[in-house]
Parts: sequence; structure tokens; C-alpha cells
Amino acid sequence: MSEGATPTRGARLTELLDARFMASLDRLDITSRKILQGKLKGERQTKRRGQGVEFADHRQYASGDDVRFLDWNIYGRLDQLFLKMFLEEQDLSLHILVDSSASTALGRPAKDKHLRRLAAALAYVGLVNNNRVSLCTFADGLTGRLLNMRGRRYLGAMAEFLLDAPAEGVTHFEKACGQWVSGRMGSGVTVVLSDFLFKDGYEAGLKRLIGSRYELCVIHVLSPGERSPDMTGDLSLVDVEDGDVSEVTITGALLKQYQRNLAAWCAGLREFCVRRGATYVLTDSAQPADRLVLEHLRRHRLLG
Amino acid sequence: MDWITPYAALIAGAVAVPALVLLYFLKLKRRQVPVSSTLLWKRAVQDLQVNAPLRLPRKNILLLLQLLALAALLVALGRPVLSLDTSPPRRVVLLIDQSASMRATDASPTRLAEAKRQAREVLESLRAGSTWSFGSRPDEAMVITFAGRARVLCNYTADKAQLAAAIDSIEETDGETLLADAVAVARAYATPAGAEDKGRSAESPARLDLFSDGRIADLDRVIVAPGEINFHSIGRTADNVAIVALQARRSFENPEALNVFVDLANYGSEAVACEVQLAIDANVRGVQAVTVPPRPARPPGDAGKPGHTVVSFVLAHAGAGVMEARLLRPDALASDNAVWAVLAPVKPLAVLLVTEGNPPLRSALKSCAPARLDAIRPADFDRLYGAAGAPEMPYDLVVLDRHAPDRLPRGNYLVFGRPPAVSGAHVEGELKNRWMVDWRSRHPALNFVNLDNVLVAKAHRMVLPRDATVLAEFEDAPAMAEVRRQGGVMLLVSFDTLQSSWPFDAGFVMFCCNVVNYIGREAAEGQAPGLKVGQPLSVRVAPGVRQATVTTPDGATARVESSPSGAVRYGATWRAGVYRLAVEGGAEHLFALNLLDAAESDIGAARELVFPGQVVKAEEGGPARANQELWPFLVLLGLAIVYIEWYVYNAKARL
Repeated sequence: MSEGATPTRGARLTELLDARFMASLDRLDITSRKILQGKLKGERQTKRRGQGVEFADHRQYASGDDVRFLDWNIYGRLDQLFLKMFLEEQDLSLHILVDSSASTALGRPAKDKHLRRLAAALAYVGLVNNNRVSLCTFADGLTGRLLNMRGRRYLGAMAEFLLDAPAEGVTHFEKACGQWVSGRMGSGVTVVLSDFLFKDGYEAGLKRLIGSRYELCVIHVLSPGERSPDMTGDLSLVDVEDGDVSEVTITGALLKQYQRNLAAWCAGLREFCVRRGATYVLTDSAQPADRLVLEHLRRHRLLG
Repeated sequence: MDWITPYAALIAGAVAVPALVLLYFLKLKRRQVPVSSTLLWKRAVQDLQVNAPLRLPRKNILLLLQLLALAALLVALGRPVLSLDTSPPRRVVLLIDQSASMRATDASPTRLAEAKRQAREVLESLRAGSTWSFGSRPDEAMVITFAGRARVLCNYTADKAQLAAAIDSIEETDGETLLADAVAVARAYATPAGAEDKGRSAESPARLDLFSDGRIADLDRVIVAPGEINFHSIGRTADNVAIVALQARRSFENPEALNVFVDLANYGSEAVACEVQLAIDANVRGVQAVTVPPRPARPPGDAGKPGHTVVSFVLAHAGAGVMEARLLRPDALASDNAVWAVLAPVKPLAVLLVTEGNPPLRSALKSCAPARLDAIRPADFDRLYGAAGAPEMPYDLVVLDRHAPDRLPRGNYLVFGRPPAVSGAHVEGELKNRWMVDWRSRHPALNFVNLDNVLVAKAHRMVLPRDATVLAEFEDAPAMAEVRRQGGVMLLVSFDTLQSSWPFDAGFVMFCCNVVNYIGREAAEGQAPGLKVGQPLSVRVAPGVRQATVTTPDGATARVESSPSGAVRYGATWRAGVYRLAVEGGAEHLFALNLLDAAESDIGAARELVFPGQVVKAEEGGPARANQELWPFLVLLGLAIVYIEWYVYNAKARL
């Protein structure tokens, strides 16, 4: 990264996150309920017993254990070999998957702005806390990657990546997840941001993301127009992604049925996530990003 | 419940209903709206269709409502009629006056238009008939229009459209008003035509509905049964100033000087100041301001005579031309505000006297100052003109004194003594010592002539043909007569002047001059001095001429064929004005047809008609409705359904 590029990148970061928001994000960190394993020893306490500072437990010595961690005091008292175990502090991998398909460009306000602002906020928290942050955009497969960032100096690059990613293409969620999982290593937190209006379903994709070493957080963003449509009359609804046309005559009954179906769709997604230990957050693009991050994500223990 | 136009509704329905249904199957032009995903919308539509209680698309409610509205309009198009009258079917004769007075504009726009409107109202009140009629037989009506003559426009029918078209086709005329003909025609049609109508006409005589302003000249000739005539009085005002007479005379002394007398009549109750304009060939030659006195006050019911005044003009005009006198004051009736006269050019008159010697007659003719006066003996006359196929007379007037040849060429004759055989009159014995007892002092030949003191010592007892006009009479035989033969005028005087005291009377010279003037100037032109509207135009034409063209005052042209006898006649002279009759390859003849009818100019509408032994009052109020047309209600219903449909459409979209 050149020195000259920094102010520009810094300026671009403020397009996504304003200063006050960033100041409040500075106090936060990514939390994970899972045992996480990073490649470097980080600032984070992990559940992994190892070479940490903080004592965790004792266990019986088995041959081959590092004799440096034997608790000689207990040996003196009980004449048995016990091994001292410490909580090892590790760094945390934060993987953010952002939907950049054409459908995100719709809505008033547009969903893509909101998605990217949320992604930027999460990435900011990760980078500020020296976590390893990877950003991916997906549509028909993964369309952009910015991997393995650590530290504040990546803030500009992160902002640029998010701002420059085009919102186009059809969504192929399962394919994108497959691609992403095959390149993922270690453990950490995966955050998926999308409108989840996938014709071929979200289940297969999400199943691939959920694994033992990764905690999954699903942030479901809809636009106000999708949650309560303000349309009447005989319309020809065109799917912006695949161009599919649906001719409808919008009546009161149809609108009610749509909202019923949307609620069922969101409830289904929530249940799918909760049952598999993932966090599910539903928001709409009219909601301010800072409120979601500072209140909802903290309540869901994604940030702490 | 009857239907007036069921087939129109059926045809319209056969077109409109499938078209409406087809429209529903056609693709709607929908507004395109991009959405993130059609996934949820498709599911919602599917769910809704599955969950709908009726397996019909919702818009079918709208379709149903639209079909209902369409059905209401289609039924309205069929014009269903609710019969309110259950009396037996009637026959109605609509008698519509189209005389000149019906052109008065006191009813808007004219009385005739108002009469037509009221006639249509009566027509509407009749029970309709149709093939789909479920009730009794329909009422029937016929349309007769009358002015100088009666015309049947539509015979008895129940077809209201045909009757209405007949009423609409009535045009204004400048004719007089004669009702007797029309009533006679109406009765002739009302008598049963066949066995099938026998029962009906016996039990329900036709009702006559008369639409007129009541200015009818021949009421005394019409006898009606009580209740037979419904009189619908049209018009109100009596305010009209008319030209009732026009006379243009050339002075005897100076033929180039033209004396014009215009007689004005005021039918209103107030004096009217107006201007009279005289124009010759559209060049205004004089305007005079005049005040016409009002109609003298009379007790109500007695109209009395109108106020009169005469305006005279003296002009110098030697040539031919069309003279127009016009009242420059708009009033209710425009037709009588202008009259026309065709002026003959001053023509040097040639008179031939055929006599063995009659100095009084000769000097009397000489005093009339003809341009040429020749006298020959009867023998010379026979030699010159008596042969078969004799040429046209080179004289305007031939005076035959005691000479009656068997053959006479075409021409105008004044005959003293035995009438020639050509005249159709013959002599049955002699009369002696007779006085004239009566004469037509208004005939042009007898203008200012007094026959009171004329003693005739010896005269022929003339037996006249049927078409002759008697001008003067002894106690038991005609003394003078006029017959028209071979296109010329023949005046017959049944005695020899030398056998009477007439040559010693000043009236004799007057008579000679009148005859020279009348025959030589006016009759000789072959143009009647002034025709009334409705009289036919007639022109003698040379043999071989087949066609002539008539141009009416409003500019329309008509072609007329000549009759085998060598005359062209044109009868459709229903408007006042100047008619031009152009003979093929010949000269153009002008005819002035004028209203000049005091009865028509007196336009005050009568509220009652006085028939002999019967007074018919005008109908008050409109006709009673015999039936109720339902289409306005159906149209309203259709509109209401359309409104409901719109409401449903919006309500469903916004819920």
C-alpha cells in the first residue's frame, strides 16, 4: 500500500462509515461462542488449552506431554503427575460474505448500500481488533475476494473493495458457498449478508457454511418495499436477475398473501439458522446501519 | 311490455358481448415493475388461487359487473316500452300545416319546427308496436301535410321511425292554408281497406291531430264530428307587417315611366314605422319611410281588417327587369316582406283592325296610341292569314269587327260580333234591346269601365265553352267573355258596336285602351302579370323544343319536359320569389311568385277553430302518455353498475 493512497482510501471509508459510528465501533470486538483456532497467537482467549497465560484446568499426565507444564506442587502433595492447562489466546478469523447480485441494487433505500455498510462496520471491528478479516462478494459464485487482512491499515482497502464491487448478476448461492468453503481454512466467524430471496433456496448453501469450526451469522436485509409493497393494479413484475416475468393483478388479498408468504419465508430462514446454532438477524435497508450494529448485533452476541 | 327496436339490441349484443369477453382473454397491457425476485409473488398468486373459495379469477367479478352493465345498455337499446294505456288501438292522422304563416319565427325556431316537434311528441305517446309486442295491437298513424294542397307523406303504419322520418321531411312553403283537401284525404284513407281492418275502423274512427296556427282559409268548407279533431295551436303573436299588393304600371302617356304601388298591411295592434325599398335587378332605386297604422280595435274574437297604407314610387325604367319591393323591418314572418314583379320592356305595339269600316272603333284604338295601327278589310285578312298553316301573326292584337273566319292563326284577338269557331263559342239566336246587368270591373280589360248605360240593340246569344270567363252579362246571356286559345287570349264581345250605344260612352275608349294594354302588353308577353305561390309556371315553346330548366329562388335547378301540345309547365312553386325558366336554345322567362295573401300574412295564432256548427278549442298541455319508454332508467342502471364496478375494482386493489 503506498503512502499517497491512504487519504483517498480513508476518505472512501467515510463514505461507508461516519466518524461517530467508527468511534463507537472502536469499543467493540468480535465474539464467538465456539472454540476458535487461529494461525497466530492472538489477543483472544480461546477455549483451547495451551500456551496461554490464564490457568484453565488440570489433567492427568500422559506420556508425551510437555513436561514444562507439570504441576509440581500437586505432585509434591499427591504424588501424582498433573499437567497444568492454560487457555490459549488466539486470533479470530472473520469471514464476511456480501451479496452483490443485481437484486441488491433495488429497493428504496437500495439494499446494496445497506449491505456494504454493515459489512464495512463488521470488517472495521475485526480489523481494529487485529482479527483476520476476509471479505467476499458473491452473486453467480464468488465475484470478489479480499483475503487475510489484519490491522487498521487495511481499512482503506476494505472500503475500496466494498464500494467498487458491482451489483450485478444472478445469485447462485450454493455455488458461491461451495467455492468459498473450499478456500476456507481454520476457524472463526462467518457472516453472510444477503436478501436471501434465492429461487433455488438458501438451505443447501447455508448447510455448507455451517461447520464445526465456524460460527455462522446470517444477516437478512430486505427493503421496505419488499416487506410491505406499495403497488396496485395490473402489473408485470420482472425479476431483475433472471428476467422472469410474473403477471399479477395486485389486490388487497394478494398483498396479504404476499406478506404472509414473506413472513413464512423469514421465519423458515430463522428456524433453519437457529436449529443449526447460527445467528439470524432480520433488518431492512431503511434502518440505520449503526443502530443494527450497535444494538442488534451486540444483543445477538456477535459483537461484544 | 313492448320492444321497439329488438333487433338492433340483438345485433349490438351479438357484437358487444363476445367483444367484451374477448377483451378479457386478450393480454392486458401491464406496467412493468422490476422486483428483486418474483419468487414470493408467484407463490402468493398460487396460494391465492388455491385458497379462493370459488375457482374463478377475481377479475371475473368485474367481468360479471361489466356484462351486467352491458346487458342493461343493450336492453335499453331494444327500447322496451311499458304500456300504460289499455284502451283499444287507435288510428291517428297527423295533419301538419306547412303554409306560409307557419314560417313565422315567433315559435322557436319556426312554427313549422314547433309543429313538427309537437307532432313527434304525439307520435311518441302512441303505443308502440313491434314483432315482439306482447300486448294488444299497436296504435297506427299517418302523416298528411297541407298548404294549398294536401300531401300524404306516410300512410297508416305503426312504425314510429318511418312516421318520424315523414314528419322530418316536411319543408316550409309559401302556400296558402286549405284544410278541406287534407281532411278529405285523411277520411279517404281511414275507410276500411279490407276485411281484416273492418272491426277496428268501425269501433275506433281515426282521430285527426291538427298542428296549425289556425289561419285556415276554408274552415267553412270543413265539417267535422265532435271530438274528431284535436287542434294543437302553434304560435302566439300577431305582430306582422306585410306587403299585400304590388302593382307596377307603365303610364299611358309615357311608357317609360313606371308607377309602382305597394300596399302594406299591419296586423299588429301598434303603428309600425318602417322603410320600403324598391329595387330593380338588385339595384336599389328608392327607399321610402312609412308608418303603417295598427289594426283598428275590435271586440275580442273579431279580428277585423289590418291597418293599411299604400306607398307609391315613380321611376323611369324602359327595359325589362325584375322589380323587388322589400320591407326593411324584420318581423315574425319574412315571406311576406318582399314581393317581386317581372317588368316587360316597353314594346312598340302593333294592332291590326279588320273591319269593313267602323270609324268609332278605329278612332278609339288610335287614341290608345299603339306604335302601329293597320286596318284591312276582312277579305284581305282571309287572303293573307286565312290559309292553312298561316304564319305567326305579326301583330300583337288583332281586332275582328263583325268578321268570324273559320281559321285563325295563333295570336291575340278582340272580336266584336259573331265569335269565330276557333273560340269554341257558338251562337244560338239573337237578342234585342238589352242592358248590361253585371260585369267584372276588376278584370284588367274592364278597369274603370262603366257599362251601366250601355244599351245594345242587337246581340248574338253566345253559348260559351266551359273554360271561358264571362266578363259582362245581359240578363240571360253573356255579353263579353275571355277564352284562351292556342296560347293566346281571345276577348269576345257578342254584339256589333255600331248596334249599341257604347261608342258614345267614354267607357268604350277606356275599354279599347285596357284591351290593348292588357293583351298587347301583358298577355302578349306570355307571362302572367303575377302568379301566386303554388300556381304553375307555363310557357309556350316552339315545336321541337323538348326541355327547359327551371331555377327556383333558392338556386336549385330542375329540368322539365315539354308537353306534346308545345308547352312547358312547372308546378313545384312552393316558395315565393323569382323563378327562371330557360327554354332549351331559347330565351329565359322570368316569373315572379308572391305570397300576397292577406290570410297568410295575418299570423295571429287562433286558439280555436270555428267549423260550421262546431267550435274546436286548442289542446292544452302535452299529449297523455300512452306508454313509458324504459331506456332512460336502463341507461341509469347501466351507469350505476359501471360505478359499482369501478368501486369494486378500487376497493379490491386498496384493501
